[in-house]
Amino acid sequence: MGRVRAETSAGWRSFVRRRTAVFFTFFFPVILIVIFGALIRTDPAGGGLFTEPAAFYVPGYLAVVVLFTPLSRMGSEVARHREGSRFEKLATTPLTRGEWLLAQTVVNAAIIGLASLLILGLVILLTGAEIVFSPLLVPYVLVGVVCFCGVGAMLGSYTDSQDGAVAASNGIGLPLLFLSETFVSLEQLPGWFEPLVNLSPLTYFARGVRAATYSGSETPAVAGVDPALANLAILAVLAVVAFALGARSIPQTD
Amino acid sequence: MTAVVDATDLEKRYGETVALSGASLSVESGEVFGLIGPNGAGKTTLVRALTGTTEPDTGTARILGESPAAVDRDRLGVLPQEFSPPARLSARELLSYYAGLYDDPRDPDDVLADVGLVDAGETWYEDLSGGQQRRVCVGSALVNDPDLLFLDEPTTGIDPAGRRTVWGLIEDLAADGTTVVLTTHDMAEAERLADRVGLLADGSLVAQGTPEALVRDHGGSSRLTIETAADPAAFADLEYPVERPNQGRGRSPDSAVVVRDVDPAAIGTVVDYLEARDIEYTELSWAEPDLEDVYLELADTTERERTDRLGGGDGGTGESDLAQAGETA
Repeated sequence: MGRVRAETSAGWRSFVRRRTAVFFTFFFPVILIVIFGALIRTDPAGGGLFTEPAAFYVPGYLAVVVLFTPLSRMGSEVARHREGSRFEKLATTPLTRGEWLLAQTVVNAAIIGLASLLILGLVILLTGAEIVFSPLLVPYVLVGVVCFCGVGAMLGSYTDSQDGAVAASNGIGLPLLFLSETFVSLEQLPGWFEPLVNLSPLTYFARGVRAATYSGSETPAVAGVDPALANLAILAVLAVVAFALGARSIPQTD
Repeated sequence: MTAVVDATDLEKRYGETVALSGASLSVESGEVFGLIGPNGAGKTTLVRALTGTTEPDTGTARILGESPAAVDRDRLGVLPQEFSPPARLSARELLSYYAGLYDDPRDPDDVLADVGLVDAGETWYEDLSGGQQRRVCVGSALVNDPDLLFLDEPTTGIDPAGRRTVWGLIEDLAADGTTVVLTTHDMAEAERLADRVGLLADGSLVAQGTPEALVRDHGGSSRLTIETAADPAAFADLEYPVERPNQGRGRSPDSAVVVRDVDPAAIGTVVDYLEARDIEYTELSWAEPDLEDVYLELADTTERERTDRLGGGDGGTGESDLAQAGETA
């Protein structure tokens, strides 16, 4: 635990001292809520993209930080570590790759936890969304962060630079964000696309958070299990796999 | 004595590039071993193979009695060559961070004092000078009080005063029994710190021994360097061997004449010779051979052998006479 604490402390300090990174980490979801929630607004009675009540989109707003922050932060962090020979150094210390990723995940969880609170507050304030404050929101955010930190670690490991990692995280994150039942419901997509939606871990985050927070949710049960719990279980399994693969992908040798 | 580092016939290729070609070395407990060699000779790859951060294609390596991958990390300290820690942590925070990765670390403040950065302890890494940054990096390899320390060019970018601080630190560690393997381009550093030196060229250790033995076997004779525009033919009657330095490859300026084998007490005879023949000169200096002469001689020989091989000459197998001479040194 001491090693993880040391790595977490260093990671947290490094993050909060990069003011631009801190600003945009919180500004990005805020501007998205302002644009979609306050300017475009939802129109439950009309047509177009945002036809559901405001609370329907809460999982989407949360997904912006639960998905994008780990992908871009982990991708660039891994690339930065590699370029500075930091993994070469860490490989000669007792810190394991799993411990390193766990520490980074804790840092991301703290950042994303704060951003999620900000998002929930703004969504309620600006869009008037009526949501249920389910305690399941906490594990959903945490498990989602674990999952996408693992994916971000893989992106950083398999790209050859910070620029490449950021580009890859955008290239993967953007389609996932809009095609995982976050802002666009399944009915708005062609039928043949449904199996692809089911492949996205973010889908289970969105379905579960919606089931837990939106009283009008029509999220179906999974094998007879409450959708709020069932989707969390599926997401947790995916998170374990992504974390293990992410940790394994971190370069320890050249 | 016990071999703390023991490597045999290490080979490593990156595509078509041969980084290590049969490198073997053994470092005893408490010894300081200096690795010297031209850029691209394989020094960093050898350090990586010994620390487990790269896997050799063939050959075996053991450190502290274990394979590098299995060694107790608490006993190992490593400074990678191009290491850049998190930039927005202070020097003290960085040492505390790396200390926190070990079970029984030293007090980071003691390490900060060892590397001479007490006054810069609260300064962010990115705001330190290049030399101070490198000293923090050196400190990061010392926080666990390692039994075996690998330092890949530890004093690169450090000013002379800071360099002496690091040298003193390495000498103290060695005196306390720490085994040190260091790579360097600074021959004075190798000569001062290393109990034994190995010259790596083309991925092979072409010579290794104590600095004194290497100088004796490969350093050549003393040099009396005369800076003059005179033709070497003007020295034809001098009783000592005279040579022009290799164009741009030797230690003396191209405008100099080098007189070999002159005893310091006999320098006056050379001066008399110059004056008797009205040979004008601007500077005259005498030097004993040192490790830099060894480096230049062996690196030059290796380069010639490689050129011969590439040119289709018989050039041998690369297992040159130098290796044998070095081993017996």
